[in-house]
Amino acid sequence: MSTGSSLGLGDVEIGDVWTRFMTYVVLTFLVMVNLVPFLFIISVSFTPPEAFFGDPSLVPANPTLEAWTKGFADLRDNLVNSAIIATGTAVISMAITIPGAYAFARKRFYGKKVGFYAIIVAMMFPYILLVIPVMDIWNSTGLYNTIPGMWIAYQIFVTPFAIWILRDFFQKLPQDLEEAAQVYGCTQFSAFVRVILPLAAPGIVAVGFLAFLTGWNDFLFSNLLTTGVGPVPAVPVLYGTIGGGSGERVYWGKLMAETLIIGAPPTVLYLFARNYLENAFAVK
Amino acid sequence: MSGNTSNTAPSSDSTDDPVRNRQRDSAGADESHVRVEQIRKTFNDGSVVACEDVNIDIDEGEFVVLVGPSGCGKTTTLRCIAGLEQPDDGRIVVDGDDVTDAKPKDRNLAFVFQSIALFPHMTVRRNIRFGLDMNTDLPDEEKDRRVEDVAETLGIDGMLDRKPKALSGGQQQRVSLGRAMVMEPDAFLLDEPFSALDANLRDQMRVEVKQIQRELNKPMVFVTHDQEEAMTLGDKIVVMDDGNVQQIGTPHEIYNDPTNLFVADFIGSPSPNLLDCTVVEDGGELRLRNAAFEVSVTDEQAAVLRERVGDRVVLGVRPEYLALNDAETNGAFTANVDVVEPLGDRDAVHLSADGQSLSAVTPQGRVGRRTDEVAVEMEIERAWLFETDGTRLV
Amino acid sequence: MATEVSDASAETEGQSRMASVWETFEENRFSYLLIMPTLVFLVLLMWIPFLRGVWMTLYEWPFGGSPTWIGLENYASLLEWKPFYTAFKATLWFSLTTAFQLLVALVAALSVREISRFTKAITGIFLLAYTVPPLVTGTIWAYLLAPDLGPFFTLLTEWGVLSETIYWGTNGSASMAVITFVTTWTFWPFMFLILSASLQNIDEELYESAQIYGANRLQTFWNVTLPHMKSAILVAVSIRLIWNLTKVSQVLQLTNGGPGYDTSVLAVLLYRFAYGRGQMGVAYTVGLVLFVVTIGFVFVFIREFEKASEEATA
Repeated sequence: MSTGSSLGLGDVEIGDVWTRFMTYVVLTFLVMVNLVPFLFIISVSFTPPEAFFGDPSLVPANPTLEAWTKGFADLRDNLVNSAIIATGTAVISMAITIPGAYAFARKRFYGKKVGFYAIIVAMMFPYILLVIPVMDIWNSTGLYNTIPGMWIAYQIFVTPFAIWILRDFFQKLPQDLEEAAQVYGCTQFSAFVRVILPLAAPGIVAVGFLAFLTGWNDFLFSNLLTTGVGPVPAVPVLYGTIGGGSGERVYWGKLMAETLIIGAPPTVLYLFARNYLENAFAVK
Repeated sequence: MSGNTSNTAPSSDSTDDPVRNRQRDSAGADESHVRVEQIRKTFNDGSVVACEDVNIDIDEGEFVVLVGPSGCGKTTTLRCIAGLEQPDDGRIVVDGDDVTDAKPKDRNLAFVFQSIALFPHMTVRRNIRFGLDMNTDLPDEEKDRRVEDVAETLGIDGMLDRKPKALSGGQQQRVSLGRAMVMEPDAFLLDEPFSALDANLRDQMRVEVKQIQRELNKPMVFVTHDQEEAMTLGDKIVVMDDGNVQQIGTPHEIYNDPTNLFVADFIGSPSPNLLDCTVVEDGGELRLRNAAFEVSVTDEQAAVLRERVGDRVVLGVRPEYLALNDAETNGAFTANVDVVEPLGDRDAVHLSADGQSLSAVTPQGRVGRRTDEVAVEMEIERAWLFETDGTRLV
Repeated sequence: MATEVSDASAETEGQSRMASVWETFEENRFSYLLIMPTLVFLVLLMWIPFLRGVWMTLYEWPFGGSPTWIGLENYASLLEWKPFYTAFKATLWFSLTTAFQLLVALVAALSVREISRFTKAITGIFLLAYTVPPLVTGTIWAYLLAPDLGPFFTLLTEWGVLSETIYWGTNGSASMAVITFVTTWTFWPFMFLILSASLQNIDEELYESAQIYGANRLQTFWNVTLPHMKSAILVAVSIRLIWNLTKVSQVLQLTNGGPGYDTSVLAVLLYRFAYGRGQMGVAYTVGLVLFVVTIGFVFVFIREFEKASEEATA
């Protein structure tokens, strides 16, 4: 018995070292797989067009900014569109979901459970289905090819998800806060505004970020609900360049510079919002 | 708020400051009290009855404690008084005004939460000022003065500019009390305010709260599940169980003269001995018989038991009324000593006799550690008798 | 606020009872007011379009044109159409990406938990792929995996791992492998987020007591970690499964659904009908098939979600 357990202890120690080693191997591998593509792209974006058919290398021989300046020039208007669409999506989604999530988290009322699941189930909806009727409805109501049309359409993606995350935030706040505020002079509404909203700020930032991300990153609606004459955001333009297959040779350097230009804003925002995001995804 | 309270004090002018107004009213009406009338509250569409038929009168300057096991309806009752719950039936009257339908903020009652419920994003100062900021138009200097006075009384004046998170549990609960005190409310409502604190701090806070209440001379309603806390604090104790008030009385009344088996069992530590007995008649004398003992009853008890010969009753007697003697001396019955539990100046002695557990309280060291057996003598004149359903007989 | 209270006290018993009913309604009304915007949006943006879409499947419905009633013909012709079955099979294969995502995310989450330094940097790098638009990462991979000039095949042939580059675009299985890989690469960080949040919520004392009672790493994983993560895993899998099946951008830019219909998963097929041909009725019919395929997972999701929230409140 005693020898057995001491042997077992020895095993655990060897196992520990082995696990530790494997952990580092796995993490290094995953980090490389995630990082190297981006490093390649950065390198390519500085590579002059004529240098593409040589050997691939991480440090370009004659770096040029041509791809970047061209990319910026081509995308400028679309980037502005993207920013307006994404910001508006975030603002509207917060106006809609903050009160709802608060009620679902901290109020008792008839029909609460059914209502909540009706919303959460919507998260599981294959959204692409809705593209068809939304295209048709938008077309007949004048929302097609407009920025407000995009703002409203993106709420389909954002609303259920935002309710899910925000409800969790509101639930985690200490109990009795609104009641204390009500005893000391607040109405239900002013208790919500003065006490709960400031405390839920991290959750609100997280949801705002995710809504912005949706508006900025989406391809499906931005491609189907806008046309060349309308407020086309940046993402479908990028798709047009590569997938359109216009016959002319693709200037990969410019394309890669464009991917970086489009990818940068959400990444920068993520760096700001990441502290708030950390707990937003706990399944509770 | 008190502009047309014609049934109490005549208030000629009405300023916008309810706090001040209130004070003038109560001074004139000289009976500032809270009355709970026939309150009934159910949850889940009536399927859960939280409290029923609750009637409590709380006089000016009275310290009332609602006590009972968890789920007995004490907190619901308190929340109804505060306006945090809307009773299905009944009325809440504060200072002569029916406030049953008033919003919590319009009742001028202060509530101290079990969870403390300080606003984490505000400093202590802003927490304490919160009610004044929301509900009154007092000038800033007056608010600051009140906040500082209260903070000084509570010994938290050095912490006014910290956030609640930086304070200890006891300090947080003081801030929560301060938030209530600056309002100069008609009554204080406290929901198990000290349950999160450790034992020493709890004792200290009890003394402080009682002192504060004496100084302010305002009614205070205090909810607790701890009968000892109830006994030490209350001028009047309301014992609740299963949604109903079981007994209302002074600590001594409740302790000495419980109205039913539940109150007898709930109040006092260690719990009283509750022994199933049969009433027997032995040569014209009425006695109570049990597997372990047989005792004769007093004349007063006999008068009640006379027509119950052969019935089962419950004999209740507090541990301090069992006298323990050496096994040899002349006692009513003998019992085995199971455990001796020192309580300080006294010892609790747990006994068993013929399968029945009993407890007794004796002076320190009265029963030696090695003692196996003692003779138990019961002070039958201090015992209570209950029906088996719990109703008090005598 | 002054009049409200004193009015009530001045009136009769019956009236105050009415006032009390009114008060409870008021209290609920505030809650209903709060959830109203969400519910209105839900009805307007999800249920009405959904039902309208179902109705559209009964028509020949060109985009922007006038619809003609054709009954169930859309369904019938879809079921008779061979490529539909190719697309259906592609969808099933493509759904394997969810399993790969789970595997990578689980390994990554467990590994990050083991280390104490650099966790912030590492999770930041992991999430990079998820933060930027999928179309951007799709573009990046389209370049990296381009058979002629992309660095991936160039390097592999140069190092002698491959004798010549692979023109995966003309091979159905290879195309499927490519889109599955890129989708996995792009979306596993989302699962990672959910799983590591759930891992963080496991009480350290549970691990300590497992250790004290002699459980080894594997036993601890099976008896402590996995049961605790079960709900999170099922929720993440069911969300991801459905979301993966509704993403079209990367498939479109990598293979455009080809060769033939070999990588036209149902969502892509829908897109091709709607965008390429403007046949809205048929497109939505394809969507309904997708809906039926995924609906089972909705129930798994709800059940687990409810279980998790009950445990949280208990």
